[in-house]
Amino acid sequence: MSFVVNKGETLGIVGESGCGKSVTALSILRLIPEPGKIVSGHIWFKDRDVARFSPEELREYRGNDVSMIFQDPMTSLNPVLRVGFQIKEAMVAHERFDNKTADARVVPMLQKVRIPAPKERAKNYPHQFSGGMRQRAMIAMGLSNEPDLLIADEPTTALDVTVQAQIIELLRDLNRDLGTAVVLITHNLAVVASLCTRVIVMYAGRIVESGPTRQIFNSPQHPYTWSLLQSIPRIDSTQHDKLLTISGLPPDLSNPPPGCLFHPRCRFRVDRCSKEEPPLEEVGPAQAARCWVLMKNALAGAEPAR
Amino acid sequence: MATAPSTFEPGPDQFVATDTYEVGEQVSAWQDTWRRLRRNRLALVGMAIVIILALTAIVSTFWTPYEVWRQSLGPTYQGPTGKHPFGLDDSGRDILSRLMGGAQVSMVVGVGTATLSSIIGIVLGLLAGFYRGWVDAVVSLLINVFYGLPDLLIVLLIVAVTQQRGLGNIILAISLTAWLGMARLVRGQTLSLREREFVEAARSVGTRDQWILIRHIFPNALGPIIVQATFVIPAAILFEAFLSYLGFGVKPPTPSWGAMASDGFRSLQYAPHIILIPAAALCITLMAFNFMGDGLRDALDPRMRR
Repeated sequence: MSFVVNKGETLGIVGESGCGKSVTALSILRLIPEPGKIVSGHIWFKDRDVARFSPEELREYRGNDVSMIFQDPMTSLNPVLRVGFQIKEAMVAHERFDNKTADARVVPMLQKVRIPAPKERAKNYPHQFSGGMRQRAMIAMGLSNEPDLLIADEPTTALDVTVQAQIIELLRDLNRDLGTAVVLITHNLAVVASLCTRVIVMYAGRIVESGPTRQIFNSPQHPYTWSLLQSIPRIDSTQHDKLLTISGLPPDLSNPPPGCLFHPRCRFRVDRCSKEEPPLEEVGPAQAARCWVLMKNALAGAEPAR
Repeated sequence: MATAPSTFEPGPDQFVATDTYEVGEQVSAWQDTWRRLRRNRLALVGMAIVIILALTAIVSTFWTPYEVWRQSLGPTYQGPTGKHPFGLDDSGRDILSRLMGGAQVSMVVGVGTATLSSIIGIVLGLLAGFYRGWVDAVVSLLINVFYGLPDLLIVLLIVAVTQQRGLGNIILAISLTAWLGMARLVRGQTLSLREREFVEAARSVGTRDQWILIRHIFPNALGPIIVQATFVIPAAILFEAFLSYLGFGVKPPTPSWGAMASDGFRSLQYAPHIILIPAAALCITLMAFNFMGDGLRDALDPRMRR
């Protein structure tokens, strides 16, 4: 698992439940729940290795350099503290702003995330906010220290569809206006398509395909990506075919299958798939896939590449 | 899925923040608690008695009908009369005055113990639950050791070792046995609260540990803490009375309900009022505190309602 996020970029990480998207995100902030820990590897942030940070360096890094918004805004705000106070707290924690400046920044932050009547709302408790508003308050909290990177871990999963669209729109605008890079973790491909310039497809803790969003959506090379895209209902489809499903579940990683981790569920597998794990290889301009077969060969009905 | 779905783009002026937004009636958590408490008649009665008791205790510091220590106010063992509504005791002291003075001792011991034991219990419980590991091991061991020792033994040892029988000493002694419940409660609350998402969210913006403990975990555990503290008060009052009854309580002639009952026990057959009156006062007080505690518990945690 290795990837890069550039300054001001929007990167999408997709994959089904349990394939390691959230753990990847939590690793970036070193927030992996116990007993999990980082065994090896590096997390480079501006030429510094986060994996070797001291607790105090880590605390400074969280929120200041990278911050995160969580899946469920209903439980991510402290129910007994006023929303404005919680946003202020994020700023005071880093001594970047003194008490007064932090106070003064709360209302503009709420305004920036488009909460109506921000002045009054800052004095509210989380239960007085709707789900969408809470998620916006979380985003305000995440952005209050002007971090370089915002990790959004399924920020729209717990919200209803119209609010999802608003939150995505908001993230896109903030990315454009503030230049904050965004890593968006989701299993919603529509969200990725509308927000991200680059996308990483994960399966069983590994990157199986990565590349520019447009390119991946147009010509996915890994069968998993292809299947994901085929499993979405299309409003412009004229045929009345059944939607494609990927049968089975992701593998148990304490007992992984031999060879390619996806091969037990893959409809294009060849013999080699169950013996050797394919490397992540360049398959097009800036696009890489981890597959022995590749969709261009599979769909053409040609002999799979050796 | 050739291109990004255009249906995902809401109109540009979807978010019009209006400044005339009305925020609903603000009801603080405490007002809400009071509303529920008001509906519980038994709890209200308990509370009224507690208030009367507190007032009595305050009044007795500067005025009682007779000095609590003055003997030979009339015939010893005299029953209730107009001049002495609760009669006189074996030394001819006014029982009403002594009852009032005893209320003061009871209240000071009850509230003092609740405060001191809560401080010990909350601090240890928070630390154990939050840091876990060796801190938790030490605190838990301490709790278990104290749990295994008879309360009376601990208190008698402290009273015997310090050779002092002042109020402060008694409060300290009882607190050393009463902090266990609070520590356990707070430890459990902390263990569950520290896994809540808002704590993770606070961490993800770089909030300090101490701050998370004080501002995020403690206020969320406050409800159960208050209830527990309320139940410590009657327990401590009873314990003090018990100690005084045994002769290890506050030094005579300072009146204490336990000591008064002890005096009356010897004349139970021919002057029963001397033991019945302090015993009744003790009963009513304990019940009042327990009713109030029950009411508070129901009011502070609506989900626990039977």
